[in-house]
Amino acid sequence: MKLNIEGLLVYFPYDYIYPEQYSYMLELKRTLDAKGHGVLEMPSGTGKTISLLSLIVAYQKAFPLDVTKLIYCSRTVPEIEKVVEELRKLMEFYAKETGEVNNFLALALSSRKNLCIHPEVSSLRFGKEVDGKCHSLTASYIRAQRHSNPDQPVCRFYEEFDAVGRQVPLPAGIYNLDDLKDFGRRKGWCPYYLARYSILHANIVVYSYHYLLDPKIADLVSKELAKKSVVVFDEAHNIDNVCIDSMSVNITRRTLDRCQSNVETLQHTIQKIKDTDAAKLREEYRRLVEGLKEANVARETDVYLANPVLPDEILQEAVPGSIRTAEHFLGFLRRFLEYLKSRLRVHHVVQESAPQFLKDIFEKVCIDRKPLRFCAERLQSLLRTLEIADIADFSAVTLISNFATLVSTYSLGFTIIIEPFDDRTPTIANPVLHFSCMDPSIAIKPVFQRFQSVVITSGTLSPLDIYPKILDFRPVTMASFTMTLARTCLCPLIVGRGNDQVALSSKFETREDFAVIRNYGNLLLEMSAIVPDGIVAFFTSYVYMENIVASWYEQGILENIQRNKLIFIETQDAAETSMALEKYQEACENGRGAILLSVARGKVSEGIDFVHHFGRAVIMFGVPYVYTQSRILKARLEYLRDQFQIRENDFLTFDAMRHAAQCVGRAIRGKTDYGLMIFADKRYARADKRGKLPRWIQEHISDGSLNLTVDETVQLSKHFLRQMAQPFRQEDQLGLSLLTLEQLQSEDMLKKIAQIAHQA
Amino acid sequence: MDDEPERTKRWEGGYERTWEVLKEDESGSLKATVEEILFQSKRRRVVESHGQVRLGMMRHLYVVVDCSRSMEDQDLKPNRLTATLKLLEGFVDEYFDQNPISQVGVITTKNKRAEKLTDLAGNPKKHITALKKAVDSACVGEPSLYNALNLAVQTLKHMPGHTSREVLIILSSLTTCDPANIYDLIKTLKGLKVRVSVIGLSAEVRVCTVLTRETGGSYHVILDESHFKELLMLHVKPPPASSSSECSLIRMGFPQHAIASVSERDARPSFSMSHLDSGTGPGLTLGGYFCPQCHAKYSELPVECKVCGLTLVSAPHLARSFHHLFPMLPFLESPVEQLQGSRFCEGCQGELRDKSAYVCPSCRGVFCVECDLFIHDSLHCCPCCIHSRAAL
Repeated sequence: MKLNIEGLLVYFPYDYIYPEQYSYMLELKRTLDAKGHGVLEMPSGTGKTISLLSLIVAYQKAFPLDVTKLIYCSRTVPEIEKVVEELRKLMEFYAKETGEVNNFLALALSSRKNLCIHPEVSSLRFGKEVDGKCHSLTASYIRAQRHSNPDQPVCRFYEEFDAVGRQVPLPAGIYNLDDLKDFGRRKGWCPYYLARYSILHANIVVYSYHYLLDPKIADLVSKELAKKSVVVFDEAHNIDNVCIDSMSVNITRRTLDRCQSNVETLQHTIQKIKDTDAAKLREEYRRLVEGLKEANVARETDVYLANPVLPDEILQEAVPGSIRTAEHFLGFLRRFLEYLKSRLRVHHVVQESAPQFLKDIFEKVCIDRKPLRFCAERLQSLLRTLEIADIADFSAVTLISNFATLVSTYSLGFTIIIEPFDDRTPTIANPVLHFSCMDPSIAIKPVFQRFQSVVITSGTLSPLDIYPKILDFRPVTMASFTMTLARTCLCPLIVGRGNDQVALSSKFETREDFAVIRNYGNLLLEMSAIVPDGIVAFFTSYVYMENIVASWYEQGILENIQRNKLIFIETQDAAETSMALEKYQEACENGRGAILLSVARGKVSEGIDFVHHFGRAVIMFGVPYVYTQSRILKARLEYLRDQFQIRENDFLTFDAMRHAAQCVGRAIRGKTDYGLMIFADKRYARADKRGKLPRWIQEHISDGSLNLTVDETVQLSKHFLRQMAQPFRQEDQLGLSLLTLEQLQSEDMLKKIAQIAHQA
Repeated sequence: MDDEPERTKRWEGGYERTWEVLKEDESGSLKATVEEILFQSKRRRVVESHGQVRLGMMRHLYVVVDCSRSMEDQDLKPNRLTATLKLLEGFVDEYFDQNPISQVGVITTKNKRAEKLTDLAGNPKKHITALKKAVDSACVGEPSLYNALNLAVQTLKHMPGHTSREVLIILSSLTTCDPANIYDLIKTLKGLKVRVSVIGLSAEVRVCTVLTRETGGSYHVILDESHFKELLMLHVKPPPASSSSECSLIRMGFPQHAIASVSERDARPSFSMSHLDSGTGPGLTLGGYFCPQCHAKYSELPVECKVCGLTLVSAPHLARSFHHLFPMLPFLESPVEQLQGSRFCEGCQGELRDKSAYVCPSCRGVFCVECDLFIHDSLHCCPCCIHSRAAL
């Protein structure tokens, strides 16, 4: 259907539209008009992706000069593929309606592992190996060596691409990963480099967060993307953690040992080169005097893994004299290494800020701040000069030099914590130096600064105002959309008491309480008897789950549950978990019924959807607070309080509730789906917790479903499940939650739509 | 007919939230009440049943009753099993009333096994006594869909192609314990054109959804007892025959009921064939139905002759099966406001209080929704039309 969104003609490839999709497009259009950033929350399963795509594509077609490119960031490869498929549908619709030949180029980009077609390289199992091997075949000096030595192996796909591929642009069309590979095979070009090259002139790019947020990768891949792009972060509820992870460094004793051996190897190589080709080192020296600006001109294949965010002024300067020659630099590294080793030899926990650390290092080993800042650049230059092919081995020394650069560059937003042992095993010495980033805005700032519109969207972003705060940007639109439903297909219930009136809670004091554990068991037992097919139960942590399950086993509750359903458990082992998942789905499929016990923040809670019968009920045992005794977390909370005036408790609750919402949201993946959401902790009933759930869940929590006992929950659930099992056809939705074009244009529907968007 | 469907006493019902029902009705726009949806589907049923479709008149139906532990649940009074069996008795009566030349059998499943309670037969009495007896049986273990279906198929697959093969499962449990992959069995069922329908007593189970979708049956879940009854009665009406089923002419016998009085000379008391098996009831009788082919005597019709295999029916039986072939036209729905004339239902003489009324297309008589259902489900002819014809 063709829509008129405030004067913009939007092609929408379906015959029907949800009212909230229309409302979403309105908000999105306003964001683009204002050339600003937006935060939009819309429940999963309401067609977020297609609304985004249709509006932005329409905008691109209408104002080709204002918006040149859409950068769509998603989390996983399957999600990326899904986006491309939606896009393909949209483009087919365009072609059918307008009759024009499509001149849009859209492509997905992923790692070498997913795109490589070289027979040997692509058979490797780990991404790191693929990257290393690819590098050893395509680096510029390797290819230069081939001129003198034809036996040197190179990648023929890359050679072919380099020879021809750059002149001929990728023909317009929609390419997912497989399409790229096919195209690459047909032409004999390397799909990975083809894609990386083509994103510069593509209209739509779909790739993972890390290509924009991780400074090491972003610098390579996304540096040259046009400023007039729209960036969309989908499923962005965890974006602050992604930012923080990409900037943090952890150093253990093993890292230091490996780094030590790296330095030895470097020493040897330098010695060798000195004997054979001293001119090379002299040349490097000259280059370093000139400054690092030229160093950046090196070709795209010369990837030396890391490139942390360097402020521009550093690049302008020349490398300080103390680390300019290779030997001096190695000596410098050694000193730094020794210093770190001595710091790791502590017996108590140390926490200090970056300036403190710098002062200490100056006093102890006389290392100045300036050379530290250049450490990462200097190392890269050295590795390049020494022509070391296999860069995978040098990850340890790269990590250390990154750390050196970061610690001397940022005096705020980072903290250094040295822990002599793990808190859980105080007797085993395992010192770790955490250099942890506390400010997610550092990593994402370049994105907000560079691109004209950045849209952050997800099913669970509540409370909306906290994201602009912690990511430090100013959105022009913030809106939360609800689901319009023809039938109430989600049923959130808060269970606060057991049948014996014992308050249910996972809080620390009552964690070991047998009465609570027994009542939790009863809840699961009763639910297993009345909920068909699959139930997913989430615990707050692995330890808590183990304790509870062991205790249930002793009390015989597990045995009773197994009469109703089979039980599967998520473990920390990925292979075991995926096995359990597979069997779980099989049991749901053939009518035996199953329960999956898993952990909030685990793999299951984030990436796996439980559509229809795979998740008829989700039970959340307790509030999934993050482990509050962790020093890193404490430091971050302190930072948030000082910098952004966010109280500790507010942030902890926000974090717990977004994970709880993620967990229970697994059950509802669309309007025809239905599911129970059971929050088994009395603390959920409090206004401060409840108020932080997404609006589309909140509006279905009535006062009557706040502090239920197990019995009452069973009654309500039974009633709900029977109602939901009544036949439900598309006609029942039409006009209410599903609109045709005519219905959409009617006056009162437009009025209603205006109410859907809840301005935060 | 009652004004209201029979509901449980208020103190027996679950937690009712009357205030919420009220709210939903008022705002109206977002939350369509389930009642409304149900009402719509009720109406749709009347509409759907219309059309010149071939119907399977000779039906073979196995009713599978779940007797697992979950049947002891007391959300139907006094418990699920008793309520189910009671409703089934009514169902069997109604079934033979509407489909006199069809047969029914009952299978129970519990403790991972399936047993035949009664074989396929055309005699309602036998089934009803068996159902009455089954009330006292204990409910244990899990049901097995696979075993129950397998047992039904063993018999149904020998039934001739012109008859319908149907299974109706009343499933209370949410789990099934199967010895083999049920999806293979579903394929077999599909191949044999066995139609499986399920009535769930607790919630929607995935495997049943697939089972019914694949075999062309229907799947419903009950809301309460009256809804349960309604759903059971849906299965009284014969399903449309699949176009691929054979059509053939069937030999039938129409025995005359011979009444012999003792005073007649050649009157001799004789045994009825149907009594030979059961061994109950009066042994020797005088009158009866005599098979036109082999002169075996039966006391009841319809029946299949035990001696020569001829189907014995009476003409009224056939006539009663007949109306399914010529269903009444559905009444037209129109808003009450637009009606001219009286605001009273021609059927029950009650005031039309609903939003819409129903008009007979041929005589323009106005009916309320309850009468509309009654006319289409039970009477099969419009009283106004008959009345006007009688007046002529």
